[in-house]
Amino acid sequence: MFTLGIDIGSTTSKAVILKDGREIVSSSIVIATVGTDGVSRAIDHVLEESGLTKEDIAGTVATGYGRQTYEGADFQVSELTCHALGVHHVCPDAGTVIDIGGQDAKVLSLNGQGRMVNFVMNDKCAAGTGRFLDVMANILKLDISQLEVEAAKAVNVVNISSTCTVFAESEVISQLAAGTDIPDLVAGICQSVATRVASLARRVGIKEQVFMSGGVARNAGVRNAMAKELGVEIQYHPMAQLMGALGASLYAFDKKK
Amino acid sequence: MKGKELLAQLHEAASSPKKQLEKYLAQGKKVVAVAPVYTPNEIIHSMGLVPMGVWGADVEINEAKKYFPAFICSIMQTALELGIKGEYDGVSAIVIPSLCDSLKCLGQNWKYAVKNIPFIPMTYPQNRKPDYGKKFTKAGYARVISDLTIATGAQFSEFALAESIKVYNEHNAVMREFAEIAADADITAAARNDVFKSAWFMLPEEHTAIVKKLNEALKAGPKAKGKLRVLVTGILADSPSLLKIFDENGVKVVFDDVAHESRQYRTDVPDMENPVDAMAQKFADMGNCTLLYDPDKNRVDYIVEQAKAHKADGVIVLMTKFCDPEEFDYVPIKRACAAAGLKHLNIEVDRQMVNYQQAATMVQAFKEMF
Repeated sequence: MFTLGIDIGSTTSKAVILKDGREIVSSSIVIATVGTDGVSRAIDHVLEESGLTKEDIAGTVATGYGRQTYEGADFQVSELTCHALGVHHVCPDAGTVIDIGGQDAKVLSLNGQGRMVNFVMNDKCAAGTGRFLDVMANILKLDISQLEVEAAKAVNVVNISSTCTVFAESEVISQLAAGTDIPDLVAGICQSVATRVASLARRVGIKEQVFMSGGVARNAGVRNAMAKELGVEIQYHPMAQLMGALGASLYAFDKKK
Repeated sequence: MKGKELLAQLHEAASSPKKQLEKYLAQGKKVVAVAPVYTPNEIIHSMGLVPMGVWGADVEINEAKKYFPAFICSIMQTALELGIKGEYDGVSAIVIPSLCDSLKCLGQNWKYAVKNIPFIPMTYPQNRKPDYGKKFTKAGYARVISDLTIATGAQFSEFALAESIKVYNEHNAVMREFAEIAADADITAAARNDVFKSAWFMLPEEHTAIVKKLNEALKAGPKAKGKLRVLVTGILADSPSLLKIFDENGVKVVFDDVAHESRQYRTDVPDMENPVDAMAQKFADMGNCTLLYDPDKNRVDYIVEQAKAHKADGVIVLMTKFCDPEEFDYVPIKRACAAAGLKHLNIEVDRQMVNYQQAATMVQAFKEMF
């Protein structure tokens, strides 16, 4: 049985097709979201890659920010539940999931069976989210993927505000004007995200293993800063950004089997 | 009258306070605004005046920003905004209690910003239970009575107060009964809120008459099935968008510890020889509220006890943004819920919320945990 999970996030659309709730047949990440053709492109891509048609899909679950807008789903499930399912699938010992997306951050506490038992979301603020990194990368004229490389070269990490993106932006500009090295600034920016989200994580309580999911998890600079901040090893999977879509596909399998 | 019609009547009153104000003014009555959280409404009522609640509204704040810092409770800010913009014109005075720092600021700012509606302070003691505390409360009532007389020309009598106390105690009982019946009745979160919210804009005797009939209708009506049963706690829970999210997700409010709702009706005025003494005793007897000093934080146990008594599956905390007293209480509430095996959710709310997407995700995820 093939099931499709679609995660319509604030900045990207992700899709995963699973076979029998176990094997990932195909996956796709498209940088386009609600109100664009991003979702259909992600779906077309996974169908094409897997050689399947829509008729072959036994169940579809939509999750993420735009889940209510996708009419082709059998179920709409919150991204928190889906991330919990997806992470448990790839990391069965995960006790805490830190999901930093484009627009928000969430921390989930899982029980031994991978069921979410508690969670917190960030308040309505860009600090500690992917958007924060986008803004900072833009000021530094760097591509978002370069942040990780630059952060690794840091010698004297600069302290950047973790409370407000706008304040942090002016701090970064001031540091640039003062001639601060870019790697030191980038490491400070990653540290800022980690500090913000770590305080969120402490509200739920840290239970090892700690797994990072979402687009920001791809950034080793943030992962390393998070590990240092929380004093624990951070688990990571190359498909971290697809955990929501994977969880949605698992949910669909569970409902249709 | 059927339950639906009664609820429609209460919805109308809850959603159009201005109409209610105009109705009472047209009847030749004088209206006195009462700010959150507790004011001596029995006294106001006994003087032949209509107490009407002022809890702000979901409006954009412009004018009030001249008087308040940015990081302060939006209930206060929007109440002042509406006052400045003339929404309360026709009201004879406003009674603002001193129960939190933001309310103290509201009183002071009101005096300068809304000059056509006199500000009457109701200053409560921190220690309300000892005799000296009750004496202090009585002094506060005396000031309110005196200022009301100046503002409206209305006279006070102990006899009239004793009569009004009976009216309010009956209203309390009917509202408590409603809260219990609504725990199992098939009533939406939005309709449940209408019953509480409308009470702020109606004379208690009128509201009692409707809610009595509603209670009978709900008792005879169908029961709610297959819902996630929650206890809601916080200062205010009247956002239509948020209540819609509850209803869309099958979340049923089985009891509340909300300042705008049930906290108002828990304590009756006791039967005492002097009705002003009895009023002070009522205030002394009140408890389980963020804004009433309690070093033992009994509110925490109260929430857990009520959640269990009403067979709640979980607790939803509606945290009014920048409400320090509620934020201080949150940590022990969270711990007590965890210890009692009650799942809980904390949603930050304010009068400035435009986008409810995050709240919708949180409520849906909370439901999915069960």
